[in-house]
Amino acid sequence: MALPRILVLLPMSASTHGTVPSPAVLSVERHWQALVARRRLYTAGGLLLLLLALAGSLWFANATNAGKFFDRLPYFFDFIGQLVPRDGWEVWRALFDLPSPHDDGSLKYNYPEGRVYLTETLYLPEYFYKMLETINIALVATLIGFGIGFVLSFLAASNLTTRRWLRFFARRFMELLRAFPEIVIAGFFLAVLSLGAVPAIIAVAIHTIGALGKMFFEVVENADMRPEEGLRAAGANWVERVWFAIVPQVLPNFLSYGLLRLEINVRASTIIGAVGGGGIGEALRLSISRGHEAKTLAIILLLFTTIVAVDQFSAWLRRRLVGRQAFEFARGG
Amino acid sequence: MLEIRSVTRRFGETVAVDGVDIQIAEGEMVGVIGRSGAGKSTLLRMINRLIDPSEGAILFKGREVSSLKGAALRRWQRDCAMIFQQFNLVPRLDVLTNVLLGRLNHRSTALNLLNLYSREERIQAVAALERLDIAHTALQQAGTLSGGQQQRVAIARALMQEPKVILADEPIASLDPLNAKVVMDSLADINAREGITVITNLHTLDTARRYCTRIIGMARGKVVFDGAAQALTAEAVRRIYGAEAGADAVPEAITSTSIETPAAPEPAFAG
Repeated sequence: MALPRILVLLPMSASTHGTVPSPAVLSVERHWQALVARRRLYTAGGLLLLLLALAGSLWFANATNAGKFFDRLPYFFDFIGQLVPRDGWEVWRALFDLPSPHDDGSLKYNYPEGRVYLTETLYLPEYFYKMLETINIALVATLIGFGIGFVLSFLAASNLTTRRWLRFFARRFMELLRAFPEIVIAGFFLAVLSLGAVPAIIAVAIHTIGALGKMFFEVVENADMRPEEGLRAAGANWVERVWFAIVPQVLPNFLSYGLLRLEINVRASTIIGAVGGGGIGEALRLSISRGHEAKTLAIILLLFTTIVAVDQFSAWLRRRLVGRQAFEFARGG
Repeated sequence: MLEIRSVTRRFGETVAVDGVDIQIAEGEMVGVIGRSGAGKSTLLRMINRLIDPSEGAILFKGREVSSLKGAALRRWQRDCAMIFQQFNLVPRLDVLTNVLLGRLNHRSTALNLLNLYSREERIQAVAALERLDIAHTALQQAGTLSGGQQQRVAIARALMQEPKVILADEPIASLDPLNAKVVMDSLADINAREGITVITNLHTLDTARRYCTRIIGMARGKVVFDGAAQALTAEAVRRIYGAEAGADAVPEAITSTSIETPAAPEPAFAG
């Protein structure tokens, strides 16, 4: 069978093996070179600006420093020295509220006093209880933030909300919510609503709505609109289109961001605890300021373990919920 | 010569490709046909090693390519260029850069990351585009092109790899008849002029008949037909597409993407 060759404008010998390139080829090549050269210039210029900005920032930071950075550096390890407890077992006694042989009636060694009794004999050590309080704050705040951020994100996404004013208000509202750090909002609510976990939850949730909402609507804006078009053609209304065409594709990403936020919120609620929100943060602040080294180390150990555990848990949950295939794109199948 | 020796691929419980034995000589133009799920794509992907076979071996010129690793594997992948149904270009890069990406395995990573190509390579890339009649799109973002144009960019990228084999996985399944013809014509032209072996999955019988000298029919992971296009009788079609497809239950006019009817005389433009 004869082969059709209608496409070939240039003889093969001259085209791909480059003996005599045609003027048209040379002209395209020249134009592309010019385009690439211009892009390189922009990149170089951008890098230069970045370097200048970095140098300026470092100079400014140094100028505004109290000027004793290097003078104080040798004392850095003194602080660590003060953290060494009387004996290694003290850390474990503090962590599990066991009586200490060094007990002299002072606050420093009163570990068993913090026990939270569940039954007559079974107790939860003080710091585990406080850690639970902190995790609880983070969990509730993340759930509230996820729910409200979820709803707001669709209103803020330009591919779903065609009404400009609605998008404008949704976006500005979320900006307002995340403009203030959790600790500032917490300070306000703690002053108004008195100390405790509920103001801390409100504070963390408010920031979470703003932060998650922004990430969510960016995910929504990157969504594939073909399923949405398919449902629109089938006569589905806005809510139906969002629920059936957009939500299934954005949910895995939402979940990843939500779990990341949970980790961030555990840390945030620890800090808020230190300013009066209750939980482990408060205990940490007290033990550091009172110089109770064993208690401080016990809390730091507990915090570290908790963060690792939350991280592992969210990775596991993500795999279970998102499905394994999302992690196995490289090998095909 | 490409030799596929009793290759099997399982995905969990399902057997996608089941003990396939094929030998393909250099310069052949082979069409692989079969129902969706027959294992055509899996077979092609195993040759390029996007998927590894569960059992069996794939040899090219006597060398086992199914056990290659690292740099040797990447060199083999360069030698058997792959063309996808959905083009798989980088949509945010311009067309010429997309074409030049076919050179990646010929050059050092440092040069690649700095985007430095020699003048010969640039001219070669534009010439490849011109050969496919889309040189005027060279400076556009690849994502803004139509499907037919994108597939031609993908073929130009494959040419830049200077491959020994071109594997095309349903190259025309998402194109309109005219673009489908342009793409198939260029694959046939590459096969005829450069003598590059072309293995292509097709879902239309008449395209396979028109362009391929040899047709391989697959059903449920097994090869059920292997022969010249002329030997593809109604009986063979029934074996490939299943018993419920009667002698005339697969009218080719329905699945056809060609502009002329299959019965029409040789097209006038054929040279």
